[in-house]
Amino acid sequence: MELLTILGCVANAGLVLALAPLGEGVLRKVTARLQSRQGPPLLQPYFDLLKLLGKEDIESGETPRVQRGAGYLALATVLTVACLLPLGFRTPLAGVGDVILLVYLITLAGICTLLAGWGAGSTYALLGSSREMMTMMALEPLFAVSLVAGAVQTGSCQVDRVLDGSVYGTGGVPWSGLILLMTMALAFPAFVQRLPFDVAEAETEIMEGALIEYSGPKLALFKYAQMVKLLVYSALFVALFVPWGSDRGFPLGWVLFWGKVLVMVLLVTAVAASHARYRIDQALRHFARLLAFAVGALVLACYGL
Amino acid sequence: MVARDLLNRLKERLGPALLRVDTPADDRIFIHVERDAIRAVCRHVFRDLGARYVISIGADDRPFSGEYLVAHDFAFDATHLLGSVVTRVPESDPRLDSITPDVPAANWAERELRDLVGIEPVGHIEPKRLILPDGWPEGAHPLRKDVAWNFVPEGYDPEREFKFGEPPPGCTVVPFGPFHPTLDEPAHFRLYVEGEVVRGCEYRGFMVHRGIEKLAESVLSYNDIPMAAERICGICGCVHNVAYAQAVEEAAVLRAPPRAEYIRTIMLEIERLHSHLLWVGLACHILGFDTLFMQSFRIREPVMWIAEKISGNRKTYALCLIGGVRWDLTLELIAELRRVLDALEVEWRAVIKAVLGDKNLQQRARGVGVADRSLVEELSLIGPVARAAGVPLDCRRDHPYAAYDRVEFEVVTHEGGDVWARIVVRMKEVFESIEIIRQCLDKMEPGPIQLAIADELPVGRYGLSSVEAPRGESHHFVITGENHRPRRWRVRAPTYQNLQAVPAMIKDQQLADMTITLGSIDPCFSCTDRFEIVDLETSATRVWSAEELARLARAGRR
Repeated sequence: MELLTILGCVANAGLVLALAPLGEGVLRKVTARLQSRQGPPLLQPYFDLLKLLGKEDIESGETPRVQRGAGYLALATVLTVACLLPLGFRTPLAGVGDVILLVYLITLAGICTLLAGWGAGSTYALLGSSREMMTMMALEPLFAVSLVAGAVQTGSCQVDRVLDGSVYGTGGVPWSGLILLMTMALAFPAFVQRLPFDVAEAETEIMEGALIEYSGPKLALFKYAQMVKLLVYSALFVALFVPWGSDRGFPLGWVLFWGKVLVMVLLVTAVAASHARYRIDQALRHFARLLAFAVGALVLACYGL
Repeated sequence: MVARDLLNRLKERLGPALLRVDTPADDRIFIHVERDAIRAVCRHVFRDLGARYVISIGADDRPFSGEYLVAHDFAFDATHLLGSVVTRVPESDPRLDSITPDVPAANWAERELRDLVGIEPVGHIEPKRLILPDGWPEGAHPLRKDVAWNFVPEGYDPEREFKFGEPPPGCTVVPFGPFHPTLDEPAHFRLYVEGEVVRGCEYRGFMVHRGIEKLAESVLSYNDIPMAAERICGICGCVHNVAYAQAVEEAAVLRAPPRAEYIRTIMLEIERLHSHLLWVGLACHILGFDTLFMQSFRIREPVMWIAEKISGNRKTYALCLIGGVRWDLTLELIAELRRVLDALEVEWRAVIKAVLGDKNLQQRARGVGVADRSLVEELSLIGPVARAAGVPLDCRRDHPYAAYDRVEFEVVTHEGGDVWARIVVRMKEVFESIEIIRQCLDKMEPGPIQLAIADELPVGRYGLSSVEAPRGESHHFVITGENHRPRRWRVRAPTYQNLQAVPAMIKDQQLADMTITLGSIDPCFSCTDRFEIVDLETSATRVWSAEELARLARAGRR
């Protein structure tokens, strides 16, 4: 049993590590096509990572150790999240972790960006960190509310039970689940730090914010973490809100699952390509509205609606 | 009549202060005044007569008259008159009353006067260095005639730094530039930020001087200068090329043949087309809307191609010589140009429809970077910035040149004075440009394109020329001279005026709006920084190895 869990974790982590750059490649290619461009080859993100990993490791921030640690932690966190998810088959860590752990991990992923900015210590990095902090405080409760609503509906905190369309409950029209689906869909680009909500990086405003002092292998870690994030959070969304068909077993369930993840990636792409970046205050207002709806949905869920 | 009317009013009011008034044409006036009267005259012209301040010119006239010469140019846009208040400053006492307290728009121009010609503006509100590097020794003034173009001063002090003002209490300093992804050229804004709100800022620019004016006055000749002028700017080069040629032609009382004037008009409008399309794309990029950025550039590309077919270059058309243009438009080119314009019109309509209906874009652009009517008038702002505030300034109509008096077009204005209004104005102006080119193509008659000039150009004459660049008015001032080159040639690019308003535009705004506010005036630092003598870093020849540079870069952090 132990061995199976370890093998499952290795399989999940390996799978997202192998597929994440491809997801990014699809995003770039489709974005390019929407913009009348040729776009880079699908496999370009793999080469980009290899190139960054092969570069000199320059320490340019105020506390290089924190910066380096933040990079490792960022990637490790999203990979741990991956181990808690059913990626087309059973969750490897089903018996060990619960949804509370998942909530903590998602917060930790945001904290890594904060650490990166604080470790760098320069003006723009700190600006990026402060923006990331504001975004986190408004955004993290959304995922938590969805997971808790799922837990309330199923009466369990087990990941494999909650991450199975639990938000819709069992009887009648699932009002709370539908509201949560809407709010989460509208906030989704922010979770994966993409336009129009990439305010904490905002290249044309604050020059990549927290990542401004990053280069070479350390940058590769963060870039990789971001690619994995896109895939893992998409998978989390799919498991929580549209899990249907995943229980069909290999290969149909597997294909269905990854097909839905691809659709999420395409949705993120389409939204990013058709929107200008929100200003931080506009983004926060947007999140606050969504949070109000989500909390309302949680109340409904408690009454079994 | 207009110039004469003004002359009479000035005589009435200022009588004894006036030394001489020349009205070489009905749309030009040169008011020569006593040195001590300069401030009163300029105040009267700016405050009472409602003129728009254009630029100040300082010239070292010592080899010819033994004195310095200062001219403050003003424009009476409603009555189509360009004028200059000229005074002389003795060599023994190079000081002149500053007009900046009355004419705030003259702030930079007077600091430039002090830096480059060494004429002290007495009573200036902000007597800091503007153009010379901070380590440049006092008392070396590059534009004086006894300073060679390749002069390197003794005692350059690389340690000396620009003294910025104190930040307001409770604010942190956010350096913006010299290098920032949305600045395509170096300039430094020191932002004073409280949380995410900008409370103030200070500007230090002029980091890429190339000495073009000095070069023109000491090395090049009349017909070389148009090609150098064109290289002032990578976007609106043709504007400087035409403006210079027109200023010299005016000084020498020459007029290019009609066909040449039409060709100049067509090329200026082609340049406006590509510049507007480029700017709309860049504005969207700054706001993070890359899709429209890419589409805009795609639509722009055929304009670049037709420019290349016509002139041989995508940019830098090498269009004008004194008294004409260098090449003609063939029938095939005209037919193709018409096809390009037709396609552009259709595609641009689709883009405008999409942008005007885009709520998300409006959210970011409305109420941002506001330059209202009073700021426009106070700082003499020009071009789309003025038109977006509902002030209908357009040199093409107000001070017609080339063939603009023979074509019909509308001066597009919008209300609000914010970034959104600027986007709307520039997007709509694309259609006016298309119409202007079509009218020119219809009206153009076959004929010569270059005037035969038999005699040498007269010496010591003044010429003014204002050309409406895509970003606003470009103003050139020329004093003709000996050795087949001008004594003084002064270029005032639109950014020079508009950039001075940026601190007022970004005050109390979100930091995130800084880039689009700056971007919305379409700043061109190469135009603004156009002249200086020599790059001090490279004059001390030293080859750095990659390793040394790397070590230096790492040691740079404390």
